[in-house]
Formats: sequence, structure tokens, C-alpha cells
Amino acid sequence: MNPAHIDYDTLADLAEGLLEDDQAASVNAHLDTCAECRERSADLADVSRILAEAPVPSMPADLASRIDSAIAAESLNNATVVSLEQRRGRRHWRILSAAAATVVVLGGGAVVGKAALDDARDEGQASATRTTPLLDGGDQQASQKGTVPSAPSGGQAEDGKATQRTFAAHAPSFGVARTGTDYRTATLGSQVNDLLGKGNEARLEPRKPDAKLAECVASVTGGRAPVLVDSAKFEGSPATVVVLNGAKPGRWDIWVVGPDCSPRDKNVLTHVTT
Amino acid sequence: MASVSVRRVDEVPDKELLARHAQGDPHAFSELVNRHRDRMWAVALRTLGDPEEAADALQDACLSAFRAAGRFRGDAAVTTWLHRIVVNACLDRIRRKSVRPATPMGDDATFDAVAPKMPDPTDAHGVSLDVHAALLELPFEQRAALVLVDMMGYSVDDAAQVLEVPPGTIKSRCARGRARLAPLLVHHRNRRDRRNVGGVEGGGMPK
Repeated sequence: MNPAHIDYDTLADLAEGLLEDDQAASVNAHLDTCAECRERSADLADVSRILAEAPVPSMPADLASRIDSAIAAESLNNATVVSLEQRRGRRHWRILSAAAATVVVLGGGAVVGKAALDDARDEGQASATRTTPLLDGGDQQASQKGTVPSAPSGGQAEDGKATQRTFAAHAPSFGVARTGTDYRTATLGSQVNDLLGKGNEARLEPRKPDAKLAECVASVTGGRAPVLVDSAKFEGSPATVVVLNGAKPGRWDIWVVGPDCSPRDKNVLTHVTT
Repeated sequence: MASVSVRRVDEVPDKELLARHAQGDPHAFSELVNRHRDRMWAVALRTLGDPEEAADALQDACLSAFRAAGRFRGDAAVTTWLHRIVVNACLDRIRRKSVRPATPMGDDATFDAVAPKMPDPTDAHGVSLDVHAALLELPFEQRAALVLVDMMGYSVDDAAQVLEVPPGTIKSRCARGRARLAPLLVHHRNRRDRRNVGGVEGGGMPK
């Protein structure tokens, strides 16, 4: 029997099977006779148990959206790079439009490519596919404009490229859907959810906003990119619904404004966050 | 992207999401991150200890993964690959930080940020905080190994893939780490009763 007690290191090695056979045998022999060292062994097992039982922290919501924004900015950056390659190499441009569209999508999760639609394209084209404008744009200018809305403030991407900051300085642009929905106070959140649900994006067919609406939306959003702008009805009367990303993916910040909405008087009919 | 609406995106396997991202699918990468973000956050937070540093590291990691997706070889699980990137981003942070103490401002700011979060040992519900503080006593390598194996439930082999070292190294780092933590975690162990019972016998034995 080994008269000396065994230290934690040796016991931990024993537990991991890291000791040589003869050493393991002598330690085991000691453990058979020494309650103190058996306690120490149990202490080590407890370390693993205590570690395993520590609750897994959830990612804070603000960090989640910060990361979404950083990824969005990165998408934007990538889109520009791809578009430059495009012009030289004629690779299929789909990568560009897809990456660019992401920008708006990320925070909300599903669909939001349509908000990236820009005024640059004619409206007939816009309805064909929501990425058409970017596709046709092909040149860097168009892709920049189209994706501006979701560029986060440049400071968020820590090693962000200068180009991202430039993008972010532009005012957002957006497309206006006319879904014909009659929004109701009680069901506003779920109606928006349905519209922005996966697979529904084709129905939204965003168009270019007129100047008055563009001003209105800009004043409502404070420069943030809308996820959805829908010229529709609210409680039976003409109204525009402006949806921004909420605090979490899948949550929305919904503003309903009347036809008289302007930067001076937004004519807010209701404001709901989900 | 018609392909997205065909199948619910949350049913798409990680590898396919990554492949779709590499092909330009705008939804794929954010879905991937959303899916694993709590575990990635847990790894970053526990490995670095400081929430601000962990947040920065995780953002770095997500961007690295976004850019590197095309280089994913597919021989490991996507989560393994993601966690490797997270751990590497944390290590980068630590390296940068270890250079930083030369600047008094940064140093003070770091202490200020950490000080209020130090656990109060008398805090009865402070077990996880305590664990948190105890982990910070470990060298990075041991901490990372224990975070993966004991806290996140990775197998030794998987942890070895994440940290890109042989399995034996993981075992050894875990053993060293546990040995070091054992005396630090003594006071919130639930074995008091057992120990007291044993103490009648063990307490009488000469040290």
C-alpha cells in the first residue's frame, strides 16, 4: 500500500486512462484502502458533473441581431465582389442577387428579398421575379442601390470594409407591395406573419413607391430598411403597412399609416410590435 | 428561391445548408447560424469568460464561417467545423488581449468590465457564476477542452476534431483542468452529506 495520498492530477489521469498499467494498479490499490483518496476521486467526478449542469446561456437578442447585421453587410460586400467578377467572367449572376437579397432577409428570417427591390427597374420586370432588378442591374451601381436598405451601420462589422460604410450612408430604398390585404387591429401581427411566411414572397410583387410614399416610409422607419411596405387597407380604409424587423428574428415592428402620411405628419393609425 | 419553399428550411441538414450558402442561397447561412447560435455562444462565452469579448469573437467567427463556407471539406460535422472557428476566434481574442495590457486604458477598462461580474462566493444561487470564475483560472487549452467535453457534451474524439489535436491531448487537458478545478469547486458540491458520513471514518485518519 502506498502511504502517501494521491494528488488530483494523478487521479484525473487515472480516470482518463492516461496512467501506465503498473501505476494505475498501484493507485487503484491505494484507493481500495484510502477513503480520503476515494473522496478526491469523487471530487473529480463532481467537477465534470458540475460543469455539465451549468445552464447553457442563450445568445442575447441584441447580439443575435448584431451578428445578423454583420452577416448582412458581408453578403452585401460579397455581392459587390461577385458582380465585378460577373462583368469580367460572365458567371451566372444568381449568386449576386441571392447574396444581395439576403441583406434584408436576415433579421426577419424568411422572405425579405422583396424589400431590396429598387426603383432602378421598371415595374413590369419587378413582378417577374423579386430579384430581377438586381439581376438586370448587373452592374455594381444597381447592386449597391438595391441592397442599401439592410446595410447596418458600418461600425457593427468590426473589421468592416470601407465600402460597407459607404453603402450604409445611402437612404434605404424599397418596393411597395399591393397585397389587397384588409389589415385588422386584432390580427395585424398574424396577417404580417402570413405575408412574410416562407413561400409567399412571390405574391408580394413590390413596385416602386411614389415620392410621397417614399418620404412617408423614410420618416416612419427613420432610415432603417423596411421588411415590407404594403399599400393596402386597415379596418377597411386605405392605409400603408410598414414592417420593420423586430427585436428577434420572426418578430416585427409594424406601423400602419394613413393616406395623408408625410414627414411632417406621419398619420400613424396604429403601431404594433410582435 | 423555389428550392427553399419546397422543403421547410429547418428540415434541411446542416451540410446542405452550407452547400446552399456556398451556391448563393441567401437564407442558408443565417438559418445555419440561428440553428446553432446558443451553443456557439455558450462555447465563446465560457471559453473567454467576458461577454463583450465573447460577443466580438462570435461575430468574428460567424463572418469567418460565412467567408470560409466554400472551403468546408465535409469530412467533419458542420457543428464541429463551426465550433472550431468559434474556438479559434476566441483564441485570437485572447492573443490580442495578452498584447493589450501595455495600454493602461484598455487594462482598466477590462478590469472594470470584469469586476462587477465576479461572483460573490456567498451567493447561494451563484453556482454557474462560480463555475464561470473557476474556469477562468485555467489555461485556455484546458478550459476549451473542458467546455467542449464536460460542458457541451462533446466526445473526446469530436473535441479533438474541433481543437485539431489528438484525442490523447484532449484527455490530458481535461484531466489537468479537472484536477485544477476540483479544489476550486469544493464549496458548492452536493456531496456534503456523504462527506460528513465518510468524515467519521476518514477524519480520524492521519493526513
